[in-house]
Amino acid sequence: MLRAYRALLVAGFQNASQYRLTLFLYVFFSVLRPIIFLAAWVAVANARGGSVGSFSVTDFATYYIALTVVLHLALSWNAYEFEFQVRQGRLSPLLLRPLHPIHYAVVENLVWKMFTIVALVPVLILTGITFGVHLTAQPWHYVLFVPSLILGAALRFLFGWVIAASAFWTTRVSSVSTFFDRIQFIFAGQIAPISLLPGALQTVAYAMPFAYMFGVPTDILRGATTFEQTLVFLFVQAAWVVAAYLALQAVWRAGLRAYSAVGA
Amino acid sequence: MRYLRLLGIFFRTELQFELAYRVNFIAELFGLVMIVATSLAAVLVLFAYSPTMNGWTLPQMLVLLGVFYIVQGIGELAFTPSFERFMEHVRMGTLDFILIKPASSQFLVSLRHFRISAIGQVVLGLGVVVAGIAQIADRIAAMDVISFLVALACGLVLIYTLLLVLSTLAFWFVRVENLLVVYQAFLDAARFPVDIYPGWLRVTLSTVIPIGVAVTVPAQAVAGKLELSGLGTIVAVAIGAWLFAAWFWRFGLRSYTGASA
Repeated sequence: MLRAYRALLVAGFQNASQYRLTLFLYVFFSVLRPIIFLAAWVAVANARGGSVGSFSVTDFATYYIALTVVLHLALSWNAYEFEFQVRQGRLSPLLLRPLHPIHYAVVENLVWKMFTIVALVPVLILTGITFGVHLTAQPWHYVLFVPSLILGAALRFLFGWVIAASAFWTTRVSSVSTFFDRIQFIFAGQIAPISLLPGALQTVAYAMPFAYMFGVPTDILRGATTFEQTLVFLFVQAAWVVAAYLALQAVWRAGLRAYSAVGA
Repeated sequence: MRYLRLLGIFFRTELQFELAYRVNFIAELFGLVMIVATSLAAVLVLFAYSPTMNGWTLPQMLVLLGVFYIVQGIGELAFTPSFERFMEHVRMGTLDFILIKPASSQFLVSLRHFRISAIGQVVLGLGVVVAGIAQIADRIAAMDVISFLVALACGLVLIYTLLLVLSTLAFWFVRVENLLVVYQAFLDAARFPVDIYPGWLRVTLSTVIPIGVAVTVPAQAVAGKLELSGLGTIVAVAIGAWLFAAWFWRFGLRSYTGASA
């Protein structure tokens, strides 16, 4: 398995290095989105005399910079390509290979992120300096951030694949995807830090998996959680990952049974 | 008059195309409802903490969000699909078939293809605008409404000319889809009033990629924040942009070498 991954990674690197312009654009836009909402929250904070809840303007900047890092490292998008493969019947040759198709997606994901994070870090550092961000996280925050990020990324990846697997039954995967994307938009910490979501919305947010993909790792990274809270979060994240994995197994098996390919 | 008839024919053809896949169509509309509803929710979350945001009240912000979806909707209704096809034509050399037709090539390239479901976006945007206006109806003068319509028209002209200029670059660079992606990304920033953004972004959204101006200025008109001088400026800029884009299009056409050249 390790040899397979090494070969795939090398191939992936060569593949990705051909897309330099797309890479640059992608990095540019991933910074633009958080800026949009950061500016909105700064405007709200200023209208309230400088802070919203426990968030000062600098806190908002810290939050959105941390969120950008997490989004970058935890997002996955393979769902669309999977739908394409299913519809065109290209899944069949992939299923005949000794390696499960999902491994290709994992490698592609990792390779792309290795490229983009290199370009993103200087931009974020510059943004941090501009806003006068100072890091208040403890060392153990950074240590515990690593497993939290990995769990969040795994959760997002598996969840994305459960949605992608709906391609076995419908041609409208993009509709299913849009539906969950927009729910994620509200509840994963992008439009607002989860702790700022009003009452009922916040409870709902913590009950759904989306918060544990991006919002929770972000809060840990910026040092906003106590030690006990962090451990609880990690545990809940792990639980969601297990649930998503089991769901994917079930859906994938059911899907393969329903799968009838072009020319199969 | 002839062009209106042509437009009607193009629209009807595309409509038939899209209605042939009914479930698809309905699914797209549902997606649009999700998108607008969640954007509305985002605005409501922001305003749960303050009655104003940079001088904008909630009803005014609703009008802005509605205009955002109207502008984005019209862009996706006709311009984006048509220009995407245009780039295909340039790449494949099939633009010749369009150029030999006895109608303005600029018209044929800009308004040929439609994504009918985007009408849903325009309608939803209109709904949000109405929801916003309903709450401040007593404070809106007739002049404000006229300014709004004029500003909206000018904003749409600015968007169109931007897309036309970007697409015209295809004559030299052929693969300019990435530029359209740039447009889409900046478009997202127009969901909030341009004045909340830091300097460089505000300037970019008001000049190079005037999407911010196209959405914010009509909303300002309804909010009573638009001076006559501001309105005059946007009208002048829209006219100037149109003239430039039309000239640039003709300039680009001269550089076009067809499939068999």
